[in-house]
Amino acid sequence: MFKKILVPVAGNNADNETIRLACRLAKKDKGKVWAVSVVTIKRALPLDAEIDSEIKKAEEILNNVENIAAEEAYEVETDVLQARDVGPAIVDEAVERGVSLILMGVALKQRFGQFSLGNVVPYVLKNSPCPVILYQQ
Amino acid sequence: MSDSRNPKPGDKIFRPGRTKKFHLRRVLGTAGLFSAAYGDVGSSIYYALGVVAMSALGLTPPVLMISGLVFLFTALTYAEGATMLPEAGGSGAFAYRAFNPLVSFIASWVLMLDYIVTMSISAFSAVNYLGYIFPALGHWPADSIGGIVVVVFLAYINIRGLQASSRLNIIMVMVDLLTQITIAILAALLVVKIPTLIHNIHWGVAPTTNQFLFGVSISMVAYTGIETVSNLGSEAKDPGKSIPRAVIFVFITVFILWAVLSMAALSAYPVHQAANGTWVTDLTQKYLHDPILGIAYVMPVSIRHVLSFWVAFLAVTILIIATNAGMLGASRLAYFMGQRQQLPGIISKVSRRARVPLNAILVFSVIASVLIGIGHIGLLADLYAFGAVLAYTLAHASIIALRIKEPSLPRPFKIPVNLHIKGKEIPVSSILGGLATFITWFIVVYTHAVGRVVGFSWLAIGLLIYFLYRRRRGKQPSDWTVEPKKKKTQEML
Repeated sequence: MFKKILVPVAGNNADNETIRLACRLAKKDKGKVWAVSVVTIKRALPLDAEIDSEIKKAEEILNNVENIAAEEAYEVETDVLQARDVGPAIVDEAVERGVSLILMGVALKQRFGQFSLGNVVPYVLKNSPCPVILYQQ
Repeated sequence: MSDSRNPKPGDKIFRPGRTKKFHLRRVLGTAGLFSAAYGDVGSSIYYALGVVAMSALGLTPPVLMISGLVFLFTALTYAEGATMLPEAGGSGAFAYRAFNPLVSFIASWVLMLDYIVTMSISAFSAVNYLGYIFPALGHWPADSIGGIVVVVFLAYINIRGLQASSRLNIIMVMVDLLTQITIAILAALLVVKIPTLIHNIHWGVAPTTNQFLFGVSISMVAYTGIETVSNLGSEAKDPGKSIPRAVIFVFITVFILWAVLSMAALSAYPVHQAANGTWVTDLTQKYLHDPILGIAYVMPVSIRHVLSFWVAFLAVTILIIATNAGMLGASRLAYFMGQRQQLPGIISKVSRRARVPLNAILVFSVIASVLIGIGHIGLLADLYAFGAVLAYTLAHASIIALRIKEPSLPRPFKIPVNLHIKGKEIPVSSILGGLATFITWFIVVYTHAVGRVVGFSWLAIGLLIYFLYRRRRGKQPSDWTVEPKKKKTQEML
């Protein structure tokens, strides 16, 4: 059913289980899984600015993703994206790759004492070209 | 524990993915580029008219047309450069590829001056327009203090990293454009009087030849922000098409608006002789800092106040956006110069915590605040003209040099109409543009005493920093050359 799955990862607690779930879903149809980590670049810098600390952090997140995928005996393609905003970058990536599912892990966040989804998840839910599954640990 | 596994040469670990270090999300199409560029170029309409009319008097409309042509040539040059080298450095990036790091530094350093002046002039004018709503802000030193507050506030926002809403920017720019078009149409129908415009011209007297030349050179301030397109080159979707289209659309829009608005202003405020015998127009006597309010004020009584309020509100918004664009431009340029070892790391380095070039933003904000503190829009325009025309001249020269040195470099957009010299294609618009901007720079240096002193001082300080920094660092990677193995061969012998 889900031949191409995009998993945006942010280095939170939900990443590991989200990747496991993506591998298991893709396995059934021998589908493909892409994991992307988005580095946001402020407008005070050119988009191609190399902020080593941020890229290193993204690389570490993706190394962890590859390890989890290896535990599941599945191959995951990983990529670092640089963009101004995370939400539009995920949606653009989904459109460009023609994915059939976006699987996102949601960390428990509270704002003013209330559960909050933040900005990225609502943007993706609103603009995604394909079904979206949210996974909260 | 001994390693019982005997790795063989064929045993390799295969790690799929991440073949590239990272890739960029290009999101700006023609509309996005147009609104970003127009946000910058269109903002100059709110302050440049008064500055140009101060010296060009009755010849203000033709002067703005002449500088419009130079702007077109420059826009084409930037379109080719930005699509060929989509980097943040603008003319500095072109010169780096075409010539050497020193020429690139000069181009970038004068451009930096322009970004700082854009910040100053936009923030200062924004507060003057706000003076329509809060009259206490309309005079010095309140307007200067207000301008400094705007710069400090924007520096804080950029350092803290609050996300600016791109969509809001685009909406504001579109509303601004519609308002300017509405004013232009109303002005063309109700205000423009051709006989008055003809009577405004007193050949050789008002303006004198010197005043006319001064006006032509200072009119470059009417087209601030063409560099924006270069800055956004790396964010443009299909840059080969979107960048040239955006540049041409911006040119057409601004050119028409300038033609109509300048004619309306000079029709409403004719040139006359003051009591002391000098030739003046009330546009510069009463509305030097907020000339579009001057045009709104001569509209029919029924719409005058609503239109004036709307113009003031919109001008404040657009000019604050333009101030921010100047700050972002300076910040990106500082990063570009730092990457190419042209500026010491203490200025250009990206703060680990704020993830922006913190010191660059602070230093340039302080300089902009000092310029605002002086509170003289003529001085700011002088400085802008000094930096801009030099940067444009170097941009034209770089594009011509690259056509000769690297004719096979991929050019998604190539300037049409070329001269064929010894098998090389030299763009006619770049030759004309380069000559025009160089002559204009010469006029600026010759006629603008303050611009000359401050401009050359800025250049001298920059070159001092550059040479001291380069000397301290030694040769840079880009300057390295592979030494021939002469020594080794001799030793072997």
